[in-house]
Amino acid sequence: MNHHYPNERIDHSSRLHWTGRDQNWNYQCAEYHSTNLEKHYDLAKDSFHTMKDRLTTITGLVLLLAASWLMLASVAAAEDGRHVLVLYSNHRLLPANVEADAGLRETISPDTELSAEFLDYPRFSGESYLRTLTAFLRTKYALRPPAAIIVGGEEALALLLQYRAQLFPEIPVVHMGVMRAFLRDHPPLPADVIGVPIELDFSATIEQALRWHPRASHLVLITGAAVPDHAFEAQLRRDVGRFSGRVTTEFLAGLPTATLQQRLGELGDDAIVFTPGYFEDGAGDHFIPRAAAKLIATAATVPVYAPFDPFLGTGIVGGAMTPFLDMGRQAGQLVNALLDGAAPASLTVPTVMPLRWHLDWRQVRRWGIDARAIPEDAVIHFRTPTFFEQYRRESLLVLSMFVLQSGMILWFLAERRRRRRAELTLQKQRFELVHASRLAVAGELTASIAHEINQPLGAILSNADAADLMLESSPASSQAQREELRAILADIRRDDLRASAVIQRLRGLFAKQAVEHQPFDLNDVVRDTESLLRIEARRRRVSLDTQPAARTARLLGDRIQIQQVLINLVLNAMDALAQQPEERRTVVVSVAVTADVMTLRVVDGGLGIAFEHLPQLSDSFFSTKRQGMGLGLSIARTLVEAHGGRIRAENAPGLGAVFQVEFPVVGGSQSTWETV
Amino acid sequence: MSAPALIHVVDDDASLRTALSRLLSAAGFAVRGYASTGDFLLDPPPDRPGCLLLDVRMPGPSGLELQTFLRRQGSPLPIIFLTGHAEVAASVQAMKAGAVDFLTKPVAREALLDAVRHALEQDTRQRADRDEAQQLRARFDALTPRERAVFDQVVAGRLNKAIAEAMGIAERTVKLQRAQVMTKLGASSAAELGRLAERLRQLPD
Repeated sequence: MNHHYPNERIDHSSRLHWTGRDQNWNYQCAEYHSTNLEKHYDLAKDSFHTMKDRLTTITGLVLLLAASWLMLASVAAAEDGRHVLVLYSNHRLLPANVEADAGLRETISPDTELSAEFLDYPRFSGESYLRTLTAFLRTKYALRPPAAIIVGGEEALALLLQYRAQLFPEIPVVHMGVMRAFLRDHPPLPADVIGVPIELDFSATIEQALRWHPRASHLVLITGAAVPDHAFEAQLRRDVGRFSGRVTTEFLAGLPTATLQQRLGELGDDAIVFTPGYFEDGAGDHFIPRAAAKLIATAATVPVYAPFDPFLGTGIVGGAMTPFLDMGRQAGQLVNALLDGAAPASLTVPTVMPLRWHLDWRQVRRWGIDARAIPEDAVIHFRTPTFFEQYRRESLLVLSMFVLQSGMILWFLAERRRRRRAELTLQKQRFELVHASRLAVAGELTASIAHEINQPLGAILSNADAADLMLESSPASSQAQREELRAILADIRRDDLRASAVIQRLRGLFAKQAVEHQPFDLNDVVRDTESLLRIEARRRRVSLDTQPAARTARLLGDRIQIQQVLINLVLNAMDALAQQPEERRTVVVSVAVTADVMTLRVVDGGLGIAFEHLPQLSDSFFSTKRQGMGLGLSIARTLVEAHGGRIRAENAPGLGAVFQVEFPVVGGSQSTWETV
Repeated sequence: MSAPALIHVVDDDASLRTALSRLLSAAGFAVRGYASTGDFLLDPPPDRPGCLLLDVRMPGPSGLELQTFLRRQGSPLPIIFLTGHAEVAASVQAMKAGAVDFLTKPVAREALLDAVRHALEQDTRQRADRDEAQQLRARFDALTPRERAVFDQVVAGRLNKAIAEAMGIAERTVKLQRAQVMTKLGASSAAELGRLAERLRQLPD
């Protein structure tokens, strides 16, 4: 028996009935009862010890209230004559009695006074005991005679039938807990003695077990060597006849326990075992049936069924067992009817108490029994509620928090991804825009680019044509002519390189390539820009002057982007000079380096920036030019800021507009090693 | 043709200038190169058949500016423009100002030589016209004032008698001087005199 689980008897399933009590009970024979009695005490003590401690006060209070209520009820009942005496065969604390008593009190109308007497059979027995007891009862209940009597158990029924005339003549009797066989073996009961007998029905258990194990084809039945064991065996042999068509049966009756265990270990998957336990094995050793059941269940590799609920917890699956609570309820209902004036003979009673299934949930799980096939009213034991069942609210709370948190995490992740994608898109768009702006510059420079490229190409073509003509006119024989041809070829080669250098320079500026992150010298950018814009400046009749710094102006980033910034600024300056007289058409690009700042200045000789335009200068799409998109300065600012710099515009006194780009000198040590 | 035509190449790009010079030399022309319009003006071309190959865009005064200047000077040198990038505005301006052609670099041999030949033809034609006019003027300059007066009256379509009355001289004298004019100017009829008068009127003074 498991003592560790205070909740082991609690079944939380709403579908299944919960008794909440120890139903251990045996009614078969005196020995059985007495041997189990101690154990039940222990169990009760163990299981409910702490609870008892805790609930002492409350229980006391409840008992006090119940007592006072009962006293009042008794007085009332006495006046009405609704007094019922319950006579139990055995000890007061025998679980069967406790169960039956609970069923009774649950059913009998509250205005009925209940008295209970316990014969304490078989601990007390014998003729003199019975005589004394009878005298006691007669005297005791003479003053307060019961209106009806309930007898619980065969001994109590026997006693009452024997001494009824002296004790309680004419008073109707309801019996409970009496074997149907007992009634069969005795003379018919008087008409005013009624009740529903109980019956041992092994076949009900076997029948159901075979349904749960449809693949079982071998039924093993185990009994012992003692007299009651033979009785079980006899009944079993009668009962299993009806299964002979479906399964093969094997009786392991009266074997030594060791032999039995060995045989059980050899059973195949197709077997199931049924046993009522035994009191004595083939080796002459004595057992209490529960212990025998435990040995059997431990040794067997197949499901073991048994008809008695004390066996629950030993490893048996369960069985159809006598329902003592139902029995008490049934008796209570009969008494209610009798007290209400019904004639005993008029009451229709079931011929036998229907059995109730008791199951060990762990075994149900172990053998894979379909929970849906378990009878509705079955009592499930040892069903530990799952964590979720036990902490339903907490679980739901934690679960919902988890779901919420997961959801938020997912949301954040999605958000982050979305933002990242948006950033990438933005980056790409900016890149495209920067590139588009460069292409716009290319458009603006078309004339000078064409000039720069066509110049060498023209020279190449003309040189080739000249050579061709020279060869046509006279064979290349003379030394002078050979020299001339060689010079032509040299020139062609040189012009070719010149043209490709121009293309290279342009490609560097206009090709769509990834943004670089390399150190470069701002002075080089100025020089490159000058060579790129020289022709354009000439075309526009602008004098373009560059003044690089004496020392390196080292910047980290994309050289092409900074060149783009400078080109934009210079082209802007040249645009501003378009309407100016010749002497004002000057653009000066200079680089200055101090300890902590590098400055790139573009100064033009125009009239400067209109005051009202200064704040809008680097806004996107702001332009005073009719053909300008207004993106040049905006992009220039974006690019400069991407390099950690800033750009500002002002009017220089005596000069035109000054666009100044400042970059911080990276690392204080830089200026040091550069001056060394 | 006595001396080969002289082609003047004005381009700031030394390499291209050299290449063009080589090509034109190989084609049988005499060539002179100039690095800028200023260089050209400092070294005025001799009076001999030729043409000017001129880059549109150059440092300092541009090709178009040189064209304007030469036109104002009355220089008869035909001009072929060369440009690295064909700009509509520039080409229209150049052609309006009498350029022979407007070529885009790189220029194919045939296109260049055709243009040069075309320019030289134009130069030759212009030179012939100019020579004829000079001769005519010289002959005209040889007339006495009275002969010039008679010439004017004849060209105006007056008869000898009317001329004599208007000038207050004898008709015979008019006849004599008229014959004198026709001889000096090399005309054989009054109608021819009329044509000469028309040409003379067109000549610049």
